[in-house]
Amino acid sequence: MTLSVKDTAAAVKDTADHIYATGLRNQWHPVVPSSFVAPGAMRKVTALGEQWLLFRRSDGTLSMLADRCPHRGAPLSLGKHLGDRVACWYHGVEVETDGTVSSVPGLPGCNLEGKKLVTSLPVREIGGAVLAYFGDERHPEPAELTLPEPLTDPEVDAILCYAEWNGPWRFAVENLLDPMHGAFLHHESHTMYDGDTTAKFRIRETDRGYFFEKTDQRGVNFDWVELCRTGVDWVDLTIPYPPSAGPGGPFGIVGMVCPVDENRTGVFFWRYRRVQGWQRDTWRFLYKTLIEERHWQVLEQDRVMLEAMPADADQRENLYQHDLGVVRLRRMYRAEAEAQARAAQPAVSAPGPVPASAS
Amino acid sequence: MTTTWPYLDVHQSRTHEPTPYESKLAATLEEVFTKDGHELTDVVRGLNARQVHAPDGAQWTEESFRAEMNRLGA
Ligand code: FES
Ligand SMILES: [Fe+2]
Repeated sequence: MTLSVKDTAAAVKDTADHIYATGLRNQWHPVVPSSFVAPGAMRKVTALGEQWLLFRRSDGTLSMLADRCPHRGAPLSLGKHLGDRVACWYHGVEVETDGTVSSVPGLPGCNLEGKKLVTSLPVREIGGAVLAYFGDERHPEPAELTLPEPLTDPEVDAILCYAEWNGPWRFAVENLLDPMHGAFLHHESHTMYDGDTTAKFRIRETDRGYFFEKTDQRGVNFDWVELCRTGVDWVDLTIPYPPSAGPGGPFGIVGMVCPVDENRTGVFFWRYRRVQGWQRDTWRFLYKTLIEERHWQVLEQDRVMLEAMPADADQRENLYQHDLGVVRLRRMYRAEAEAQARAAQPAVSAPGPVPASAS
Repeated sequence: MTTTWPYLDVHQSRTHEPTPYESKLAATLEEVFTKDGHELTDVVRGLNARQVHAPDGAQWTEESFRAEMNRLGA
């Protein structure tokens, strides 16, 4: 029996809603800071609405497995780290880091052995964070990944700040595509006290995303942001430092977001600065001692606001010119979620006479 | 390492609570950067003028300041 066109449309919408709510597939996403999984340790994580196990060998090699035993579905994260594989606690089935069952101790020679039955995601570590590729069934091969230049440029020094917020991942990205909130929400902060509270914005397309920027002010507040889609989605922006922060000019932020599930988000902010030598060391010393805490207070303002937003905030709005960056973002993500949902559906057979027995 | 949601840690770059010496040095550096300038010579002069010395009590030189920042900021 084939699905009717109507059922298929409903299924596509459900799938698109689910993808939109839990994160786009077929691209890389940050998961957690690297330090969350010590050598020889493992850690359960949630990402894109699913349960995963991060597993690190003592030599530092990291793998990411679906947190589901191929035998009867117990969480592998409750199991035992055996160095190069994990043993499920329930009946002892052993799984290698590529997802292959290496042994079924209760029934040696069982036909599960040697089969790759657990999803294993490609992972990379960059700037102190774990990135993983979340492909759907049709796209298991990792998408090409170009890392943000501020995290690879040797002239730039970056320090990661990670936090977990209760709210949809999209709200966190939308917040970054909304520079104007800096002049209001962060008005009392050490970095965003200055600048005009009115502005005109424009969108400037690039070959990897777009800029959303003020037309009449730059280098004073949070005045522009670039959305970059380079296999992983990230934003780049700069914020001026007061003279107390010493040489090196403004600091930049590379921001990424992990869709944990529909209502939870991991946010990754690398604060970076183009500094070398004593200037770099001095910035890092001031950062650790004084600046990090001030940055944190600013980030808390975002968290308090975003966590207080109603879940249907984006259903009942009255937008104006400053929201163009957000609108552009939503259209893009929504269209992509729908395309991924359509691609995931079985082809609809041509409408024809329905046999009586099928109705 | 905490495993409970949510992870909200103000200090992620520190390895220890700043010592009184580190706190004083950082606060004075901010004052020097604000009032005296951003060059290494400004910094060394500014710290020495404010009697904020290295732990051994010696006056700062460019070399000793670089070395100390390297130790504290790495
Ligand atoms: S469920 Fe894991 S070994 Fe049975
Ligand atoms: Fe903000």
